[in-house]
Amino acid sequence: MLTMQNISKVYQTEKVQTHALRDFDLHVEEGEFIAVTGPSGSGKTTFLNIAGLLEPFSGGSYNLDGVDIGKLSDNQRADLRNQKIGFIFQGFNLIPDLNLYENVEVPLRYRGIKAKERKQRIEECLEKVGLASRAKHLPQQLSGGQQQRVAIARALAGKPRFLLADEPTGNLDSLMARQVMELLEQINKDGSTIIMVTHDPELARRAPRNIQVVDGKLADFTLYQPSGARVEPLVAGV
Amino acid sequence: MFLHYLDLSWRSFRRTPLVSLLMVSAIAIGIGITMTSLSVYYMMAMDPIPHKSANLFQPQLNTMDADRTWSTPDDLPYQMTYKDAMHLHQANLPYRKSASYRTGFSVHMNNADVKPFLEPARVIGQDFFTMFEQQFIFGDAWSLEQEKGASPLVVINRRINDKLFGGDDSVGRSIYLDDTAYQIVGVVENWETHIKYYDLNNGSFNSVEGIFIPITLTQSMQYDAWGNTNGWKFEEVNTYEDRLASELMWLQFWVQLDTPEAVQDFSQYLHAYLEQQGQLGRFERDNVEFALRDVKEWLAYNNVVSEDNQVLVGLSFMFLAVCLANILGLLLGKFLKRAPEVGVRRALGASKRQVFYQHLVEVSVLGLIGGVLGIAIAQLGLWGVRATYSYYSALATMDVTMLLAAPIIAISACVLAGLYPAWLVCRTTPAIYLKTQ
Repeated sequence: MLTMQNISKVYQTEKVQTHALRDFDLHVEEGEFIAVTGPSGSGKTTFLNIAGLLEPFSGGSYNLDGVDIGKLSDNQRADLRNQKIGFIFQGFNLIPDLNLYENVEVPLRYRGIKAKERKQRIEECLEKVGLASRAKHLPQQLSGGQQQRVAIARALAGKPRFLLADEPTGNLDSLMARQVMELLEQINKDGSTIIMVTHDPELARRAPRNIQVVDGKLADFTLYQPSGARVEPLVAGV
Repeated sequence: MFLHYLDLSWRSFRRTPLVSLLMVSAIAIGIGITMTSLSVYYMMAMDPIPHKSANLFQPQLNTMDADRTWSTPDDLPYQMTYKDAMHLHQANLPYRKSASYRTGFSVHMNNADVKPFLEPARVIGQDFFTMFEQQFIFGDAWSLEQEKGASPLVVINRRINDKLFGGDDSVGRSIYLDDTAYQIVGVVENWETHIKYYDLNNGSFNSVEGIFIPITLTQSMQYDAWGNTNGWKFEEVNTYEDRLASELMWLQFWVQLDTPEAVQDFSQYLHAYLEQQGQLGRFERDNVEFALRDVKEWLAYNNVVSEDNQVLVGLSFMFLAVCLANILGLLLGKFLKRAPEVGVRRALGASKRQVFYQHLVEVSVLGLIGGVLGIAIAQLGLWGVRATYSYYSALATMDVTMLLAAPIIAISACVLAGLYPAWLVCRTTPAIYLKTQ
């Protein structure tokens, strides 16, 4: 479903060249739930951005659902992102002027879905995250956990095959974090492939597959030895 | 999506009311000032009789000695002598034509009920009404026989008819022009022309006359000319008869020539006439010089739209450009502040094109609101022009074209100012903002 081969990402300034990712190889099967861990600045978010088509990569190849991403224009990447990928961010990234209903509606509008179907999907998704009754509330009228659930509803509304979560519980207390994690697990059971970047070993341990990014490369997963995780080395150690 | 973008624009204005107000004010003031000067210029430059301007011609005859010059580029006088104008007026040619000049009277009813008032009048031939498309409310023009017979007849316009007769059909009744009674044969609609193109001597934009009398009365009634009288040589002019026989130029003459053949035919006639006049020893010149200009050429020849007006329009557009520069700065600040939200939208599937359009719709809405307010400011400006210069009262208005042009100019200007900020924000790399929000 998702295959990255020798992906590299270089940030270039006038004087400094920074290799955020190098020789990055990864294969993800449909329906997997992968936790991505690693130290700060190791390249986890860069990997997630490239996987989510938010950033172009400098070298290598990336194939998503049979599409060679390297050959797509910016508009084509936007289309693909809209149709196949859902995002959940640490900071929720809800649009403050829009109420919950309208926030969830944003990706559906860009996909050109008719109003009737949009309404149905939005109501379903808000129901799923337990916020149907607060559809007209603005984001700032909700708690952090509730806002993250709205962000999840927004990501789900487009029925994405891929859900990319960047520290989805990073701004939440432990109770809220557990609720969000349970929600993600349920979504995964329902069929979505999830890649979740996290600093939290507890959460990482709950994911069936763990990968670690160190210095822009996939590192030996055994560093964390997540109990119960499906142990399958992806790449040899650094 | 367009309606959605409109909704987003409205929300954006509500989110930043002060900045939005500043931008709308800037465009409104810019458009207001631009449209004020542009409207006056537009009205000045407008063809006063578009469907007929190519068929109405003003001849200019050079009846001066060869060593005499005039203040025109081609040394041709603006007006005609009485004898030339009347010769052409009475010539047996198959074209509508009329000599004319401006005079004026004290108008009264020879009773105590109506206070006398001073009113300019035009002395004309009966073809004048048809050539310049005067619409009769009551009665008609005097007949050719009546004109030849120099009967004291008059046609008045609706304004004067309302004033003297309360709007009733006054045909057959009389009014007094100075001390003479004139019988009314017709009442015409008020002449709504913003340029007095048929006689530019008394000011291109002065009010038109509301009283019309047959030109054949000139000799017997000895009307004063309320316009310019020019001469090119010394002549003893002691009596009205002297004036009519002199080389003084004080009449206008118009002819309607509907085909190129007619123009050619009339030109040949003028050529032959001037040759004959030269042979009669009226002036010393070997070559024949004359011109035949249609309405638009005549207006251009007389510089009706002066360079000052063009400079004023140019300056007002420069002021609009300054307003736009300010708007551009404000838009840059506003749009770039929104980059994180754009980053989210891009992450959720918005293409650069969609983000670009969204912002262009927003600046267009800004332009529309600014344009509508600009029309109000322009109306205020035009009112100021009218109040200050009564001379411009017919010009300082906005017609439908200008009313429609204002928002179009405003929207175009705002889109122009918004192109760069919109382009900049649509190039937002979403990843930069998603982590930092």
